[in-house]
Amino acid sequence: MIGKPVLLAELHGLFQWLHEKLQATGLSQTWVDIITYATLGVIIFGVLSLIALYLIWWERKISAHVQQRFGPMRHGWHGWYQTVMDALKLLQKEDIRIVTRDKVVFFWAPVICFVAAFLAYVVMPFGDRLIVADLNIGILYIMAVTTFTIISLLMAGWGSNNKYALLGGMRSAAQVVSYEVPMVASILTIIIFVGSLSMMDIVKAQSGLIFNWYVFRIPFGPIAFLTYIVAATAECNRTPFDIPEAEQELVSGYNVEYSGMKFAMFFLAEFVNMFTVSAIAVTLFFGGWNGWDFIPSWIWFLGKTLIIVLLLMLFRWTYPRLRVDQLMEFAWKFLVPVTFANLIVAGIFKYFGWYW
Amino acid sequence: MMAELRTEEFIVNMGPHHPATHGVCRLMLTMNGEKIVKIEPVIGYLHRAIEKICENRTYAQCIPILDRFEYVTSMSCNYVFSLAAERLAEIEVPERAEYLRVIMLELNRIASHLLFYGVTAMDIGAYTPFLYGLRERELIIDLFEMTCGQRLTYNYIRVGGVSKDIPKQFVPQCRKAIKIIGEKLTDYTGLLNENPIWLERTKGIAVLPADLAIAYGVSGPVLRASGVQYDIRRNDPYCIYDRFDFEIPVRPNGDCFDRYMLRIDEIRQSIRILSQALDGLPEGEIRHKKVKDATFKPPAGEAYARIENSRGEMGIYLVSDGSKKPLRVKTRGGSYNQLQVLPQYGTDMLIADLVANFATLDVIMPEVDR
Amino acid sequence: MNPLKGIRELVRGLQITGKHLGRHAITIQYPEQRWTMPERSRGIVVLLSDKETGELNCTACMLCEKACPTAAIRIDAPRDEKKKRHLKQFIVDHGLCCFCGLCEEACNFSAIKMATKYEFSSESKEDLVWDIKKLQELGRDVPYVDTRKKKKEAAKAAAAKAAPPKPEKAEQEKPNFPPKPESPSQAAEDNGRTTGAEKEQQSLQLGDERRQDDKEGQS
Repeated sequence: MIGKPVLLAELHGLFQWLHEKLQATGLSQTWVDIITYATLGVIIFGVLSLIALYLIWWERKISAHVQQRFGPMRHGWHGWYQTVMDALKLLQKEDIRIVTRDKVVFFWAPVICFVAAFLAYVVMPFGDRLIVADLNIGILYIMAVTTFTIISLLMAGWGSNNKYALLGGMRSAAQVVSYEVPMVASILTIIIFVGSLSMMDIVKAQSGLIFNWYVFRIPFGPIAFLTYIVAATAECNRTPFDIPEAEQELVSGYNVEYSGMKFAMFFLAEFVNMFTVSAIAVTLFFGGWNGWDFIPSWIWFLGKTLIIVLLLMLFRWTYPRLRVDQLMEFAWKFLVPVTFANLIVAGIFKYFGWYW
Repeated sequence: MMAELRTEEFIVNMGPHHPATHGVCRLMLTMNGEKIVKIEPVIGYLHRAIEKICENRTYAQCIPILDRFEYVTSMSCNYVFSLAAERLAEIEVPERAEYLRVIMLELNRIASHLLFYGVTAMDIGAYTPFLYGLRERELIIDLFEMTCGQRLTYNYIRVGGVSKDIPKQFVPQCRKAIKIIGEKLTDYTGLLNENPIWLERTKGIAVLPADLAIAYGVSGPVLRASGVQYDIRRNDPYCIYDRFDFEIPVRPNGDCFDRYMLRIDEIRQSIRILSQALDGLPEGEIRHKKVKDATFKPPAGEAYARIENSRGEMGIYLVSDGSKKPLRVKTRGGSYNQLQVLPQYGTDMLIADLVANFATLDVIMPEVDR
Repeated sequence: MNPLKGIRELVRGLQITGKHLGRHAITIQYPEQRWTMPERSRGIVVLLSDKETGELNCTACMLCEKACPTAAIRIDAPRDEKKKRHLKQFIVDHGLCCFCGLCEEACNFSAIKMATKYEFSSESKEDLVWDIKKLQELGRDVPYVDTRKKKKEAAKAAAAKAAPPKPEKAEQEKPNFPPKPESPSQAAEDNGRTTGAEKEQQSLQLGDERRQDDKEGQS
């Protein structure tokens, strides 16, 4: 059941006006719905693309200041539109068509990656009543949709007609699949207490004091958050799990044969993924858009997400890389037992009612 | 009934172009699945015929040519050649010049090890220590620039002494620099030393047994990290190193982590030597009076001089026929032996380990190819 | 390894990088900001002129050409009837120069110096070959210590101290280097530098001059 879409309160009136106008023109309900949802989709897509561009700039500045240098400084104040110029540059680069039999696979891999990254935002609670569709299977839907990236990695590796790209693609896919298990188990730990999969319900269950946030509910909260964040870093293929992107490991990753806009799609998809996992972390562990009333709720959401994104970026610029077999060993031999033990503990707590 | 899986070995070329600053070295890796079966280094991409060029240059002109023999520790290259020429001509170098030489050599050793720290960390995936290492190296390079005018190829240590006296602000700035480096070392080691990911990547990886190291003539920090106590500053003293109180760090295991830690320990010991040298710096001449750049002519004969460089034993075998130009300048660099020993113990591991291994060997290609 | 210790060390790593976020950057925005180079910094080679008369200090003693390890300096200074050299052309090829500073050290007349300027990149190899006019012009605003005056005063003081050994002292002051055939000049010949036709002609001419000179020296 798709709930009614709600928007920014200021635009809500405008949206209602659009909705009523369309209905008044006598179009069938289907068409009215299609037009309204399409508009919403375009708006969300636009906002997210801007966020992705901004995140790239944020990453470059953070990495630069951690290394005591400046980063982009020339395009705009401290380089704020550097990413736009980079995107323009990538647009006019030659789109190299490699010799391969599977042209369809090669072509569609970046598209699928890009689209899959955006699909998760249908159920993302940006703020109070700001959600596109409050599905009652919200978090399950997100888990299902983020798994599409695995297909695109395999397609990229296969379609590149390059044995090293294939190796890289398979390694990436194995990594993402392995780290799905601890990620889902950490999420499940929280869902036990919420009682519902809907994103809005999860956020509402943490309303009130700051200590209602799930991350503070000892002992399973912090552990679930830590395991979730580690699994999320691996999902996004970021250091210390960035074997697919490492330049020093000469058997390079799945995107080695892509150039120009196709490469840009992989790149942007990575940053959108990063925002997605941070948004899920904020929703589950840090109270979503809850906060004091004098700041609008979506600013709370955005601020908290950016802090988690900052944490992910600091991980990248602080830690060395794990070797591929150590990575898999870490997932299966350490993270999975810990998350499942945590899950059992949380279950026990819920059964005996030892929580507030 | 078990069917035998047929596996093929394939060759991966780690080409001359590298993302790290090891230089142009080509490694042909024969791989069986993920493991490396054979390594074949192909060298010669940086061969500049330095030894042949030196046969047609006067002794003073050889010094800037030999600067490029190993440009990361250019002072050592200058020094080892001057030592060989001084041994040949039996010249005594004034006290102040010897102290200045020790100061420059040890500063250069610290700079080289800081570069090693940065590059190794970058190879293993941590990008930030590269910038931290280079930030401290800038302090040292600024000192060099203040004294001799260049940041990388110094042309400073000459036959008979040094070319220029240090300016007034050198000693206080040097003291400040080594104090800052000592403090920042705790920062760097905190970032990496106990980091579980770093330990996973370097502990127990690529162990070089001591007998293999000795058999291949490996020297320097790689040898000492395998447990062999051998440092030319103690075993075959040169310059005035016997006046300073410092330790030679040795580590038992010979894995990547020990090679990395040993160089950090060596930085600390170099700081010790430097403070003693700065305290004891005497006044006096900076160059032997009789030695002039344009007219230096050692007697006919041959001499071998070797020093403890950051990468091992650096040696020059000098043959003179009594004229203004050397007859033969044979150079010996530590990286050559370390590259030779790499295929002997660097097999049967993953490529990621090979990258870590190669990084901790600290091979610099100009020394290999000359 | 103990997981708690591992987490503590990981957090320590984050603290170290995190505290750098609050520090100011140590890099500068080139080309709007530039470091001032130390005075001994070895940049381009320039020819110095006398501070009062504005004429070149160079006496064409050819010491710098002999000292250069890469044969980057080419001097055209023919001898006149009294066997004294007069400087006609002075070329420094900055593509060959290795910036070692040996020319500066060899000069006794404060005629050649390595200035601190380092921004001289050009778009072709020929543009890096600079002749006497350009070298003199670049050297006009380079501050230097005139060692000739010091030497003159030192010579005067020494002469005033001890009158009899005067002629000997004077001879000692003059640098006395026999012009032997030096292979850097030959190397310059054999290099076969591909400059413009005119410059090639020039270099060949200089080579001829030098070869004649060497023959004279030998005989």
